[in-house]
Amino acid sequence: MTDTQWPRFEVFLQDRPETSHRNIGSVHAPDIEMAMMNARDVFVRRPSCISLWVVPVDAIYAKTVQEIEADPELFRDRLGDESSVDKYDIFRKSSQRRAMTFVIYTGQVEATSPELALQKAIEIFGDGTTYVWWVCPERIILRSQESDIPSMFAPAKDKEYRQPRDYKVVSAMQEVKREQPGKGGR
Amino acid sequence: MEEENQAYQVKLREFEGRIASGEKIEPGDWMPDEYRQQLIRMISQHAHSEIVGMLPEGAWITRAPNLRRKMVLLAKVQDEGGHGQYLYHAAETLGATREEMIDALLSGKAKYASVFNYPTLNWADMGVIGWLVDGAAIKNQTMLAQCSYGPYSRAMVRICAEEGFHMKQGKEMVMRYAQGTDEQRIMTQDALDRWWWPTLMMFGLPDDVSTNSPALKRWGIKTRSNDTLRQEFINELIPELYLLGFNVPDDDLTFDEESGNWVSGDIDWDEFWRVIRGDGPCNKERMETRQKAHDDGLWVREALSAYAERMQKRAEA
Repeated sequence: MTDTQWPRFEVFLQDRPETSHRNIGSVHAPDIEMAMMNARDVFVRRPSCISLWVVPVDAIYAKTVQEIEADPELFRDRLGDESSVDKYDIFRKSSQRRAMTFVIYTGQVEATSPELALQKAIEIFGDGTTYVWWVCPERIILRSQESDIPSMFAPAKDKEYRQPRDYKVVSAMQEVKREQPGKGGR
Repeated sequence: MEEENQAYQVKLREFEGRIASGEKIEPGDWMPDEYRQQLIRMISQHAHSEIVGMLPEGAWITRAPNLRRKMVLLAKVQDEGGHGQYLYHAAETLGATREEMIDALLSGKAKYASVFNYPTLNWADMGVIGWLVDGAAIKNQTMLAQCSYGPYSRAMVRICAEEGFHMKQGKEMVMRYAQGTDEQRIMTQDALDRWWWPTLMMFGLPDDVSTNSPALKRWGIKTRSNDTLRQEFINELIPELYLLGFNVPDDDLTFDEESGNWVSGDIDWDEFWRVIRGDGPCNKERMETRQKAHDDGLWVREALSAYAERMQKRAEA
């Protein structure tokens, strides 16, 4: 067997119940279950995860607004097969503000093709500003379960030494300064 | 030809306008080839640096003086592996493949931070690397978290949050040894003497000779100059090191009243180039260790592939 590259899977992480899943990167894996395990190892070393979703990259239909504008033919002649209605999860990036520019889960539509799902998503969710759209069939996404929390996400909570706040260097340095006035100058 | 060039100029102006207004460029958006190439070069070098950066510290995990220090070091090295993964991902969104990047690293074609080609000779190196090397990296990474390319910027936001731990655990260790035994102070000063100059080189060539900088600046990738970041680092470190009773190996270091800067002596850029080109103290050893890890892991990758294939067949049957 050759030492070849595995497929790539996009990873979505949820921090808290009141926030939506957001795309935080991708992993390589031979299959989707392994992708879930790799995603856990790569993205959950800190206690800020309650749920992970993974999905093969080629199952995502992705368009930036620039791409949509540049292609007037995009939604033409793409009527899907009426008998194969699918549920699609919709993700979008709607902010350019620092640290807020993630592609985030927005909602669901039913459609017969990814193109039509995108068209519907723009109608339903497109009233605010959107920069990037991702569309993915709901059934293809692998999602961690409630019952996975204790084994997959909870252990990170005990590792306080991974947090910068566990090291009181700022106050310790002030202490040193107080003890040795005048030192550390020119 | 003329028309093509005009169309390109229009696109380029629009692209630069987006960056000027603070928008992030996303995969799929139009971008000049040079922007893509510069980003692939920078991000993959950055990823390689994280991966090779695991090695100097990894060598000390089994020799940590107590369980807490061992857990901390293990967690830090594991983070670095994770950061390499975030960054390879960002480069992949530009069309580079993981395979090409790893091949380039292992074949010696790709560059990585020259600082990781120096040896870790005593335990205090773990503290000094954390405070100095990670501290210098954070300066660069905080800037890159604001860069114009969305996936790189997002990876950096995450990395910066985690690097805070790396820097602080190192600083805590150095401070503790400063107040410790003579042996601990001597050991720490020895580490500082060896890491000071390689750390200053991490900020890259001086502004007047750095050839990559103008394009990177215009396109919002690097928003602050090498010398600016280096000066900021020196100004922060020197007073605190002096306060702790340590020195740096620079006889020409002076304080300039007018600018408020600590002005360092000349950096040995010949050494920098020697190490970058492969002639540093540990270049060969680092690549051999990396290659061995890659080879030793082959059977695991093969087993996983075989399992995935069998499950696939079973599902189809």
